[in-house]
Amino acid sequence: MTNDKMIRLLMVDDEIKFLETITKRLKLKLFEITSATNGNEAIEAAKKGRFDVAVIDLQMPGIDGVQVLEILKKTHKYLEVIILSGHATIETAVTCTKLGAFKILEKPCDFDKLVDAIKEAYEKRLKKKFEHDQERIKQIEKLALGQSPLGILKGLAKMDKG
Amino acid sequence: MNNATNFISIEGLKFFGKVNASISHEIKNILAIISETAGFLNDLTDLAKQGEDLKLSLLENCTESIAEDIQRGFDTIKQMNQFAHSVDVPIKEIKIFETVELTVKLSNFLSFSSKVEIENGDKEDKPVLTCPFLMESLIYQILLFVYESTGPDGHVLIQFDSQKKDGTSLIISTPTNFILDGFPTPDIQRAAKFLGFELNINSSNQKLDIWVPYVSKEIVALEKALQINSKS
Repeated sequence: MTNDKMIRLLMVDDEIKFLETITKRLKLKLFEITSATNGNEAIEAAKKGRFDVAVIDLQMPGIDGVQVLEILKKTHKYLEVIILSGHATIETAVTCTKLGAFKILEKPCDFDKLVDAIKEAYEKRLKKKFEHDQERIKQIEKLALGQSPLGILKGLAKMDKG
Repeated sequence: MNNATNFISIEGLKFFGKVNASISHEIKNILAIISETAGFLNDLTDLAKQGEDLKLSLLENCTESIAEDIQRGFDTIKQMNQFAHSVDVPIKEIKIFETVELTVKLSNFLSFSSKVEIENGDKEDKPVLTCPFLMESLIYQILLFVYESTGPDGHVLIQFDSQKKDGTSLIISTPTNFILDGFPTPDIQRAAKFLGFELNINSSNQKLDIWVPYVSKEIVALEKALQINSKS
């Protein structure tokens, strides 16, 4: 189960009226939302804030949704991305999936379906983060065996670089 | 002239596909806004049932937004219909301002389009004997080039100069320099040639001049060729 209050959402769409309305609706579902009207704004927002899930439109002026997806997945390890577009083709769907999109939804999309997809994406993010943390704990435990405190610190620094 | 009809068919299909894709995208966006606004009204009703105060201004905003987007949908469908009818007759007399205005509206469905202002200093909308579909396709392709140069935040001005008696100059300009790399493409050149239009780029004063004759010898030849093709 997820605690909806904790889900930090980045909504990206160049159709401002759509963005405003869906943001209002999602806020009623107690999501914490930041909205961006183009790719550059989205990348800047992701640099400043911390997000669990991003919902991105494909066709936008300047940097398009596929490029935003690629950049965000590279720079934000645990961020899950949902594509919500009226312009998705099979080719773009395949590209987005290869780039790590969690789900591709077509506009206009059933609101409950979108909310469910956001919750599922958030659960996946939590699981991925948890697995990574577990792995890290194991590595630290292994590293700490028979090491001096300085040796442990050096090992941790090496792990972080790797 | 079979070259011309083949060219119109192939280029026409590409153009038709592009315009259809952008119109369907626009309609999906409109429906998405209406759907979310109606959903928001539902959410507000649910909250009111739970005892929350229902703000009338919010309800008014929602109904106004729905009405606006229904109108936007009607306008889009009207343009789509107008565009669809441009293939009814291969060569016919059209109004130049009306045709340019429609093509600009069609191109504005694209996410990367710039803001376009059309200024008709001549007031009178001059008739031109042409292939409407090919003319729309040519202007559309030229606008895409201009949009790439100016970007989505750019501003484009289209003016008409009908001082000469045998045609009108369609002048496209921007406040910044045009960077029209690769312009005109072979397809643009061919379309202009079949229509009898002339393209002149004046990069020093940032203007692109399209000479549109009211009746060109090329269009008369094309009309004859199309008549022969339809009879055979």
